[in-house]
Amino acid sequence: MVKVGFYQGCCFQGQDAHMFETMKEMFKKIDVEVVLLEETTCCGGNTIDEENRKLSYAINARNIALAEKEGLDMLVSCNTCYMVIAKAKRALDTNKKLRDEINELLKEEGLEYKGTSRIYHLLDFFRDVVGYEKIKKAVKRPLKGWKVAAYYGCHVLYPKEIAVDNSDNPSSLQELLKALGAEVIDEYEGKDTCCGYHSFYTDKSMTLKKLNRILGGVKKVGADIVATPCPLCFKSFDIYQTNMENPPKVPSSFLPEIMAYAFGIDKEKSGLAHHLIKVEKE
Amino acid sequence: METAVLQVFRYDPEKDQAPYYKEYEVPVEGTLLNALLYIKDNLDPTLAFRAFCRSEVCGSCSMRVNGKTKLACKTPMKELVETWKGKPLRIDPLNHLKVIKDLVVDIDKPIEKMKTLIPWLVPDPRVVPTDPTHESIVYPEEMEAYKDQINCMLCFSCYSACEAVADNERYRGPFAFSKAYRFQVDKRDIETAKEKRIRYAISGGLWSCVQCQKCLYVCPKGVKPAEDIQNLRGQAVKKGFTDKPGAKKLKHFIDWIYATGQINRLYLPEEVYGNREAKEKLTKAYTQMGVEVWEVPKPTKGLMKFRDLYLEILSREDKALDIDFSHVRRIDKMVSDIFKADICTIVDKVHEEGKSSKGLISKLKSLLGGK
Repeated sequence: MVKVGFYQGCCFQGQDAHMFETMKEMFKKIDVEVVLLEETTCCGGNTIDEENRKLSYAINARNIALAEKEGLDMLVSCNTCYMVIAKAKRALDTNKKLRDEINELLKEEGLEYKGTSRIYHLLDFFRDVVGYEKIKKAVKRPLKGWKVAAYYGCHVLYPKEIAVDNSDNPSSLQELLKALGAEVIDEYEGKDTCCGYHSFYTDKSMTLKKLNRILGGVKKVGADIVATPCPLCFKSFDIYQTNMENPPKVPSSFLPEIMAYAFGIDKEKSGLAHHLIKVEKE
Repeated sequence: METAVLQVFRYDPEKDQAPYYKEYEVPVEGTLLNALLYIKDNLDPTLAFRAFCRSEVCGSCSMRVNGKTKLACKTPMKELVETWKGKPLRIDPLNHLKVIKDLVVDIDKPIEKMKTLIPWLVPDPRVVPTDPTHESIVYPEEMEAYKDQINCMLCFSCYSACEAVADNERYRGPFAFSKAYRFQVDKRDIETAKEKRIRYAISGGLWSCVQCQKCLYVCPKGVKPAEDIQNLRGQAVKKGFTDKPGAKKLKHFIDWIYATGQINRLYLPEEVYGNREAKEKLTKAYTQMGVEVWEVPKPTKGLMKFRDLYLEILSREDKALDIDFSHVRRIDKMVSDIFKADICTIVDKVHEEGKSSKGLISKLKSLLGGK
């Protein structure tokens, strides 16, 4: 049994608390115990960086320190949280002055950033810690006949310093989907286009153009569904797609949902049954 | 000798009806630029591309390999072959620019776009002596603020890879914002110019950047345009340009994270777009789906100390008052109205009861007498 600290961010609480339950169930099937890092806060969403980068580093030094206190590595699902936290870790590990200043303030809460916890994203955690063989063995309901378009999202591939895979030609998501028994589609227009999630509240037209390109591309190659490890890309695909003038009605899946389903967890509990764009495939 | 196949984009608008790809077998040694020079010297002298210094200084030889923007003289052939695992390497000119011939593109448009952001020093006479016999000294620690940005060599890699350029004709380009930001943090530059740059940056698409970070990835010189764009956005809000949705989004993040440790998606549509119905609609939709509605995020244990940390950092940066405390008090009041308890009591209760997030809000309400 591997134990890892899970960083929830904004995507696994509130209305989305059930997503964490799905995640926990799914991880049990591959012998991973995910421990919710209860006291962590929002990573700042790469938006607090607009206000002040040091604030972003401090918030995330605190988040990481909470994992370190438990003696656990940190697992992050959201691409953006992953990038923001990994960037903060890089800054803290390479800038002693910054680390000392922030640690002085963290003392108040009895915390210290030491740099001892690794930050994993789902994709490198599955590849390097769990292993695809183990995932293959956990599959009870192979996704036979499912044509799944693989969509990474940006913040696990760019910038290079924090990338979890080869940024130009990544393979971890395809490997994982193959392990689930799916027919992977990795060539389609828009596969490397930003999902537009972050511009929904800065320039909405941008979001809709991005969705048009990606989901149009997915539809054109005849995929049944698009799967992404990022809950924000998933929200963009499932929720913001309904804001499009002519939504292509392409179903999408947050990666842990489709994994849970392949591991034998039913559609209802896996979350796949609750999408705005219905997942018809059985 | 190991070889690889390059499929090179060829197009001469004066002769060709349409672009086509021509294949060349090249040795896998040295850089992509070496391979292109090999083609020109040994296989096909008609191939056109720009290159000069061969050492990552002039920024002429940027192009795309299988869609990814690269500086040819910085890209080892071996690395390309390994990355693409034996697949053919398709060489294209930079994206978003008009092709003059083959891999040579017209860079006038992004240059013109850059000029609209006043990428030059407008001297402040109080800092820069008007008497030309006197020096204007810049100390090394002052240069720290823009030491990366001045490395931009106008290779247009970021312009080619940019998601905002792709979908917004007016968007000035990542490099242009970095060039502008460089003067925003230069003490010799006059305040009125800084104000103007922000104004022009906003009309030039400052809020259209999607923050994909591709510009950081492709920049051969380590410039971080997406981060400079964040800094410019912060400056815009600080200077009072707060009417754009992006500025309101930033304010939402600053206030809600300080107040509760989290953002609040239920209130984002109202606070950013003035959409008052969104909250009700969302609440109804969630209730129908059997999902518990959280009017407020789960208050984190240690929230008060988190607030101290947050405020202390902003104070040190002279930004404490960027938190809208009247908004924070409204959030506090909303929380205590919902739960019939103040936020500190709730935080304690969460710690006692909150091991599972499922049904937490209803549990807290019933424990504390809220509705």
